[in-house]
Amino acid sequence: MDRGLYIAASGMLAEQVRQDQIANDLANASTPGYKADRTTQTAFGSMLLASSATGQVVGSQSTAVEVDKVVTDFTPMPARETGEPLDFAIVGEGFFSVQTANGVRYTRDGQFSADAQGRLVTASGDPVLARGGGTIQIGADGAVDPRKLGVVTLANPRKQGDDLVTGTPGGAGPAGSVRSGALEGSGADATRSMVDMIKSQRAFEAGQKVIQTIDETLGKAVTQVGTVTGG
Amino acid sequence: MLEGLDSAAAGMAAQQQRLDSIANDLANANTAGYKHGRVGFRDLLYDQSGRSSANGVRTGHGAAAIDAGRSFAQGAMQRTDRPLDVAIQGEGFLAVRLPDGRQGLTRDGGLHVDGLRRIVTNTGNLVQPQITIPKGVGEDDVQIGRDGTVSAAGRRVGKLDVVTVRSPQQLLSVGDNAFVATTASGAPGAAPRSTTLTSGALEMSNVDVAEAMVEMIDSQRAYELQSKAIHTADEMMQTANEVRK
Repeated sequence: MDRGLYIAASGMLAEQVRQDQIANDLANASTPGYKADRTTQTAFGSMLLASSATGQVVGSQSTAVEVDKVVTDFTPMPARETGEPLDFAIVGEGFFSVQTANGVRYTRDGQFSADAQGRLVTASGDPVLARGGGTIQIGADGAVDPRKLGVVTLANPRKQGDDLVTGTPGGAGPAGSVRSGALEGSGADATRSMVDMIKSQRAFEAGQKVIQTIDETLGKAVTQVGTVTGG
Repeated sequence: MLEGLDSAAAGMAAQQQRLDSIANDLANANTAGYKHGRVGFRDLLYDQSGRSSANGVRTGHGAAAIDAGRSFAQGAMQRTDRPLDVAIQGEGFLAVRLPDGRQGLTRDGGLHVDGLRRIVTNTGNLVQPQITIPKGVGEDDVQIGRDGTVSAAGRRVGKLDVVTVRSPQQLLSVGDNAFVATTASGAPGAAPRSTTLTSGALEMSNVDVAEAMVEMIDSQRAYELQSKAIHTADEMMQTANEVRK
């Protein structure tokens, strides 16, 4: 019976991870090109219970629950007009390539600017790579032809922070086209996040109630079993 | 446990910075030559979350605001019919000398003649190169040509310098409608030929009040959402505390 204590506690721990993920989504409600996460839970291996007296099978029981994956939803989001010549949005799948100090990284946040050499750079100052490699020079009119920007699809994109993504080029499906004067909206969905947050909180509370109930039952077992009056 | 509390707080801090920028824009809705600020956002580090043993379970740590410079979109022209008002059309800035001796760049073309007959900006900064209007010539007898040539009563007395930098977004705003060049923006050089000056007009602020209001609402709602996440995380911690009554 005390097994239940641990199962309930594992559920509460899993809900905490989910809550962290939702808070991160909500914090990025205004981040251009942000992609929302989804937390998936899985049951720890279940085991078959049998009566110790007769050997008769009682049934299977799960031992715990854990968060097994945080999946990022890379679905493209609608672009928002900004009118800025150096804002870019990808319509469709794919990522911009960026040359960082740690190698090539990818991003869907197209809020770029110029550096002192007149190259197109990200907000952190890393050069944006052109179709076929190389940096992009900004034209005399302060704009860049959006067709110059390279867009690559990734096989296994993974967020690393600072709006950057790692991955292997060559994902399925065609790469999207680039639009200037627009930014992709954040993938954080306020309504879905709020609903998830409520669900998660209630599941957490339910876990607490299970622990309390088992605790009370154990308490009864300790104090009442064996008393003459029967409690 | 429940790092979401800090993630949401980081998001709120970022929204606050955005609101500050919007408030500054709205305060400068009528400042000639003002360029509205742009605040960007980025997500923060992702790392192994909680006590989960499963690999690949990583949660983020919220968001941060980034300064994306100014929007140098052209502001609307307002006719003033004052000969010493100039509006810059296209990329470029007037070069001025700031009180501390540095070279400043400004789009505010409301010029005046000071007590020593020199041309100064609204805030009293000398235009560069220095231009002196001869004694006896009134402000109404000064003409400024499309290329910046200044004539007093028909005689050429100097030329306003129109300059630009490689990366205007990296200019440092020093107040009084002026910017100074930084190493990231590049040194000032001549503005493109397409840039012209229009005398008798002022370039207004490029703040779109309606857009700023929408941004403000958006920012406030995001702020509220994030405070709800903090509230929920707090309630969950309380629930955890109440496991043992």
